[in-house]
Amino acid sequence: MIKLIDIVKKYEVNKNNIVTALKDINIEIKEGELVVLKGASGSGKSTILSLIAALSKPTSGEVIVGDNRVSKFPDNFASDFRRDNIGFVFQKYNLIPTLSVKENIILPLLPMNLHVKEIETKLERVLKMFHIEHKANQLVKNLSGGEQQRVAIARANINTPKIILADEPTANLDEKLSLHFIDMLKELKAEGKTIVVATHDPLFFGLDIVDKEIEIHQGVLS
Amino acid sequence: MRSKINIYLIEYAINSLLRQKYKSFFITVVLTALIFLLSSLFFITNSIKYELQSTVNSLPEIVVQKVKAGRHYDIDVNAIDDILTITGVSSAVARVWGYYYFENAGVNFSIVGIDEYEQQYKNSLIHVAKKLDFNSGSSMFIGTGVKKVMNKNYYQEYFNFIKPDGTLKKVDISGVFNGDTELESNDVIVMSKENVREIFDIEEEKATDIVVKVANENEIATIASKIKLMYPDTRVITKDDLKISYQNIFDYKSGIFLALFVVSLFTFFIIIYDKASGLSSEEKKEIGILKAIGWRVDDVLKEKFYEGFIISFFSYMSGIVLALAFVYIFNAPLLQNIFTGYSQLKTSFELPFVFDIQTLALIFFLSVPIYIAATIIPSWRSATLEADEVIR
Repeated sequence: MIKLIDIVKKYEVNKNNIVTALKDINIEIKEGELVVLKGASGSGKSTILSLIAALSKPTSGEVIVGDNRVSKFPDNFASDFRRDNIGFVFQKYNLIPTLSVKENIILPLLPMNLHVKEIETKLERVLKMFHIEHKANQLVKNLSGGEQQRVAIARANINTPKIILADEPTANLDEKLSLHFIDMLKELKAEGKTIVVATHDPLFFGLDIVDKEIEIHQGVLS
Repeated sequence: MRSKINIYLIEYAINSLLRQKYKSFFITVVLTALIFLLSSLFFITNSIKYELQSTVNSLPEIVVQKVKAGRHYDIDVNAIDDILTITGVSSAVARVWGYYYFENAGVNFSIVGIDEYEQQYKNSLIHVAKKLDFNSGSSMFIGTGVKKVMNKNYYQEYFNFIKPDGTLKKVDISGVFNGDTELESNDVIVMSKENVREIFDIEEEKATDIVVKVANENEIATIASKIKLMYPDTRVITKDDLKISYQNIFDYKSGIFLALFVVSLFTFFIIIYDKASGLSSEEKKEIGILKAIGWRVDDVLKEKFYEGFIISFFSYMSGIVLALAFVYIFNAPLLQNIFTGYSQLKTSFELPFVFDIQTLALIFFLSVPIYIAATIIPSWRSATLEADEVIR
């Protein structure tokens, strides 16, 4: 269960310019649900994902994920929480272009100092799951947009997280690749994962796999 | 169970350095060059200090020279008998020696005369006195530097000295002389006093100077003043006077080294300042990504530590090895001349190998930890920001 309670998030651009990104947000997402956050660019969708992933802290209010009050986590606890529970697919993928596909995918596992066999097993699983085995040794910068996105999803799933957060996942894809991405989401939902997608792509609206659509307009729930 | 050393982070650090190969290569080259320069300065200083210390230790306690019109003249050997009457003097030996200028090579040799049954004033001369053939009439032991110069000028078995009257004095080379130190023995030729007198035209009753040994070191100054009273026309030089004069020359030369040292340290700190003043936007973003996918601050810092350690330790080792080769194998061309002089009047000498763990530790602490700190601090700044802020 993910709960956002009375969330307010303000950004200080400079001393005289404080922007309110979210205002009085209350959201509840049940385990295994696929939720779509809709809204125009700059409406505050990405900020909500950041708060759920403990990438940033709310100015006021509370974010609860399962039994964890993630908005109160100190930095290292937040990192552990992300590593063990969250798979984040960023809008621009946030891959390291000079690393190979497999090096990018296993990045979240490196600090865990796992046995090589364990890392290889996890890697093979996601490479197969997202159909990128044949690109495993290629540098990410040489891949197409769709392939890069599959690498990003594979990385987000390497540690079998319970929650998948995707920020504008189809913003850089054509319709065919976007539909393929939706197919991948179906598979993840079938595995029982909780999925939150922030998007303004109409392809996601009214889909049968979507449990809830939440619309945000200028930091306020519509 | 997680072991303390994470091989994956080390591997990632190496990868990270290879990904920025031009930048890493440039930093490694500059750091290596600076460490090489610093180490070379320290190694040369240590060697010469060691050499000077050994030379000073082997100096006689008191040297008595006759002075006339402010210039050094030959002293009467009969003065020895008077000096020996002074209480506290354990021995007094007349020395016959001088500098011989070998025109073909443009160098000076120091020729020292000894007698077979005379008490020698230096241990190294005792060994030579045993080996030197006094009966043959003309044989000599030469220092390694002298040997090189003579061989270069086709004198393999003997040497012809030109006497003041223009005639030649042929002296056979009996062997190579190994003194206590290179500086002391390198340009030295040892032969019988009789031969030295002949080469320099010194009379039988005269000597170059007299060296005096004193039983109690505390009495040196008192005995020196007594000799001065006895022979007012002499210059009485004590070991301490010589020590000061050697030290003055060394300190003056050290000043030049200090300037080089300051310049290299200054350059090093400019690099450090440049590193510490910030990361590129790509480096910052990479830290943000790593944080966003679950790396902790200490994971990021460990990885950066390995990066800094690999570069600085590699540079440290390379710099030290290059400096060792430069100083002790190639004899520090250019730098050594600052200490020993550019003049060709002296024969070349090799720097003695002095292994000083404190010097190596000092260079290590001046380079490796400072560079690692300069790598970690800006990364720590980025890693402690909210990941969201860094990525955006």
